[in-house]
Amino acid sequence: MFLPNVAQYPTDPAGIAGVWAALLLMLAIYSYPLYKENRVFRFAEHTFIAAAMAISIITYIDSLLRTQLRGLITGEQVLLIVPVILGLMMYALLHPDYRWMSRYPIAILVGSAMGLGISSVIIPQITNQVISTITAPTTGGARAWFDFIVIAIGTICATLYFLLTYEHTGVLKPTTRIGRLFIMLGLGAYFGNTTLFRLSMLAGRAQYFLQVLKIIPM
Amino acid sequence: MSSESIWDRLQTIDRRIFYWILFIALMIPFIRPLSLPIALTPTTRGLYDELAKVQPGDVCLLSINSGVSAWPDCLPAMVASVKMLVRQEAKIIVWGMGHVDVDITWNKIVSKVPELETYTYGEDYAYFGYLPTQETTIALLASNIRGVFTLDKYGNPIDSLRIMEGVNTAEDFRVALSSDTGDIGDYYVRQWHTNYRTPVAEIGIAMLGSSYMPYFLSGDIFGMTVGSRGGAELEKLVGAPGDGTITMDAINVSHILVVIAVILANVGYFATRRSR
Repeated sequence: MFLPNVAQYPTDPAGIAGVWAALLLMLAIYSYPLYKENRVFRFAEHTFIAAAMAISIITYIDSLLRTQLRGLITGEQVLLIVPVILGLMMYALLHPDYRWMSRYPIAILVGSAMGLGISSVIIPQITNQVISTITAPTTGGARAWFDFIVIAIGTICATLYFLLTYEHTGVLKPTTRIGRLFIMLGLGAYFGNTTLFRLSMLAGRAQYFLQVLKIIPM
Repeated sequence: MSSESIWDRLQTIDRRIFYWILFIALMIPFIRPLSLPIALTPTTRGLYDELAKVQPGDVCLLSINSGVSAWPDCLPAMVASVKMLVRQEAKIIVWGMGHVDVDITWNKIVSKVPELETYTYGEDYAYFGYLPTQETTIALLASNIRGVFTLDKYGNPIDSLRIMEGVNTAEDFRVALSSDTGDIGDYYVRQWHTNYRTPVAEIGIAMLGSSYMPYFLSGDIFGMTVGSRGGAELEKLVGAPGDGTITMDAINVSHILVVIAVILANVGYFATRRSR
């Protein structure tokens, strides 16, 4: 039922060749930042893109067969012919004479996504956020009150920063400046988290390097 | 002889030297774990507390919307969550969106949760594989799973799986865990929690921490793990230290290096500015 166990070091020749190929390709990719652009890097880059594309196509076809075409072929879900036709119309984009046909599935796609999005965005992303911001904490003590006040000040001042119909003078000057500070803090936190994610990825590769060399267990 | 002062040189260190140091330094904690303490955050605590309330037989969803590249951030929390759900004797339905390598990720989770061997496929858990999707598909899954999936990953009709008896909408799920690198967690909040009140939690990469925090504060998600740190926290709460805990040591080492690099560069910058 399962694919081969990838939590243990492979014992079959194909598996061993696979983990070593992955390691060598990884080092080839890292040769770019650790050394400079070179042919080995380009080979690994092209191999990666080609393999990713091949895996994507196979996975898409498998998914299409299971979720769309099977129901259509067996006659259990005849209406699935509609999305299949709409999907095929997308490919008319490739031919200038029939490009107009692709506009219909795109219009349906964008329209349905907009309709769903707008109707369901209001509660979690506007109403609930406003309620959450203006509701005083009932538990958590002084720390919760500190957070509540900081969030309230930050929200109000950051919103005022985007008040572009008035010149930022008088009372608006200090508040918008505080707002800008909060925006910068927010973006800084976002950037910090981005760096954390990239370092996590690098740590994962360092771990894989050691696992393939059997320095640590896989 | 170069006329450059040490301060000038500090600002012009070849970045490749730093990359080499970083790559080598990251390996040390994997060989010799530092076992640095891991403080718990309310978001991870919220996730754990809700999973601890899951009753035997409750049907839970794990939506794998992160790829292999996000394993260091997302996999530890997914593994710890599945361990917790198995411990609670919950039934688990798994599918994936957004990344075509979902099969590899699920296979990795299975490999890292030996407790799943006590589970029977089709009765205690089921795997539906990858589905290309946008918000519309997640909305349809919330209202009618059979409108999207008729077969599981292995070609079994989903109506032949006992786990699917009485399960067809988001209301039939006790919790939904969404592992993300992008927006799909938003879709679960909007389509599953807002419309069906299904408790939703986020297992996100570090970048998503600030994006999903408002949802946590407003109660739209009951918990969240942020990156490998969140995974390490959940491993600690579940009592099963794993890759997240080890990775956090490496992350801490890398952060120390980054801080040192930033300090050195700034010292060099201010020193040379003063001399000018």
